[in-house]
Amino acid sequence: MFRAFPTLLRIGLAEAVAYRAELVIWVLTATAPLISMFIWDRVAEEGPLGGWGQGEMARYFLLTLIVRHITSSWVVWELNENIRTGGLSPMLLRPMHPLVFFVAQNLAAMPLRAVILAPLIAGVMWWRPELMWTPEPWTVALGLLSAALAWVIAFTVQVIFGSLAFFSQQSLGLFNVWFGLWSLGSGYLFPLELAPDWLRQGLLWLPFRATLATPVELLAGLVDGPSALRLVLAQLVWVGVFLGIAALTWSRGVRRHEAVGA
Amino acid sequence: MSLGVAVAALTRASLLTTMRYRASFVGEAVMAVAWAAWTAAPLFVVFDQAPTLAGWTAEEALAVIGFFIIAQGALEALVDPNLRAVVEQVRQGTFDFVLLKPLDAQLYVSLHRTEPIKLVHCLVGLAIVAHSARAIDAGAVELASAALLMLAGLTLLHSLWTVVVSSAFFFVKVDNLSWLIRAGLDAGRWPVSLYRGVVRFVLTFVLPIGLVTTYPALALRGELKPSTGLGALVISVLFGMLARVAWIRSLRRYSSASS
Repeated sequence: MFRAFPTLLRIGLAEAVAYRAELVIWVLTATAPLISMFIWDRVAEEGPLGGWGQGEMARYFLLTLIVRHITSSWVVWELNENIRTGGLSPMLLRPMHPLVFFVAQNLAAMPLRAVILAPLIAGVMWWRPELMWTPEPWTVALGLLSAALAWVIAFTVQVIFGSLAFFSQQSLGLFNVWFGLWSLGSGYLFPLELAPDWLRQGLLWLPFRATLATPVELLAGLVDGPSALRLVLAQLVWVGVFLGIAALTWSRGVRRHEAVGA
Repeated sequence: MSLGVAVAALTRASLLTTMRYRASFVGEAVMAVAWAAWTAAPLFVVFDQAPTLAGWTAEEALAVIGFFIIAQGALEALVDPNLRAVVEQVRQGTFDFVLLKPLDAQLYVSLHRTEPIKLVHCLVGLAIVAHSARAIDAGAVELASAALLMLAGLTLLHSLWTVVVSSAFFFVKVDNLSWLIRAGLDAGRWPVSLYRGVVRFVLTFVLPIGLVTTYPALALRGELKPSTGLGALVISVLFGMLARVAWIRSLRRYSSASS
């Protein structure tokens, strides 16, 4: 498996380059943080809100955009498609786990995503230069670790919803419900720090913020030491929970799999 | 065949298709309410922090959300399914059958795949607008001008989609493009006056979602100058003419499946 992985990455990159026009469109479709940034910039115009000035707003939403794309994958659609059409059957015959292939496919598109996003990032930095900050090395290190964990959680959640296609025709609809709740609860559309108290407290116990707000707040230097560690620990817990559920739905699902040739 | 009969027949066909799946109506209604709540949620968070924003109160901004939901519902019911079908027909060559019909092709493709069930979203949007109008205490003139501007905005969306679909005759695979435009239209859930500079210009004149959602809301508040309102109507007529020209020019590019 470890010998095959670099090759899989090369295949994934070649695929991403082949479908570059579609990738551009998909990346640009997921730019909602920029809209939120303009709105919250207006909110902070009259003066900082709870320590959030226009610079902090721009920094928060720029990092939200970046982390959203670092952690994004499309394995739920791939799985759904391949389970329904039987495309999964040959993958199951290969001497490695099909999910390894999807991991490589999703990771390999990242350099190209970065290239597509670069002009947008540069534009935001030019528009609001005061978003720049001098991050502490340890928050950056912890933030990058946290972003990696967020990627694992987001990918695993998609695997769970994708493998629901073994059992149900509605798995994509269920994923859309998840996505709707996620965009409200993860800090994607508004900073959780500025949400009403009851909402913020409730969201501490839900998995959504672990996939986005946690790495963003760490990288932006918006949380201090002890609570940063607590947030990363919560991410580890969610990684465990979702990996467990994914292992269960996957193994149960493959046993039920009755597509052509399986 | 008179035009009226054709339009009635196409509408009847879509309605009959919808009635076959009556059970999904309830599901769609539940979805519409949940969708509206989801759309409005960020607004409540913003106005929790700032009582007014660029001269808009929460109730007034809610009207923009209402018009946004109406526009999206109309898009999903009347515009997008109809025009997206064209992309498929052009790709497969079955567009020949459309051209053979003794009816204007643009009119036919604008009606042949309507999904009336999605109009439930428009009802929810109307309810939100009604709530907002009561809070603002809008009079009859304001209501009438808001309705007029809303209709102008919806024809504008239709024109915009027609232009996008016309490009299918050149580039074949454009359904992804309609997703990109939808992401852009998402900006229309906020009053366009909250944006600045280039972004506001684009949302008013290039991808004119501001005209569709903000202007009717301004009319509801009685704050739309008659000249601006007229300007909006002129822009939507111009877009309509642009769409017609784009459509006719693209048809000339169509090399059919058989000839």
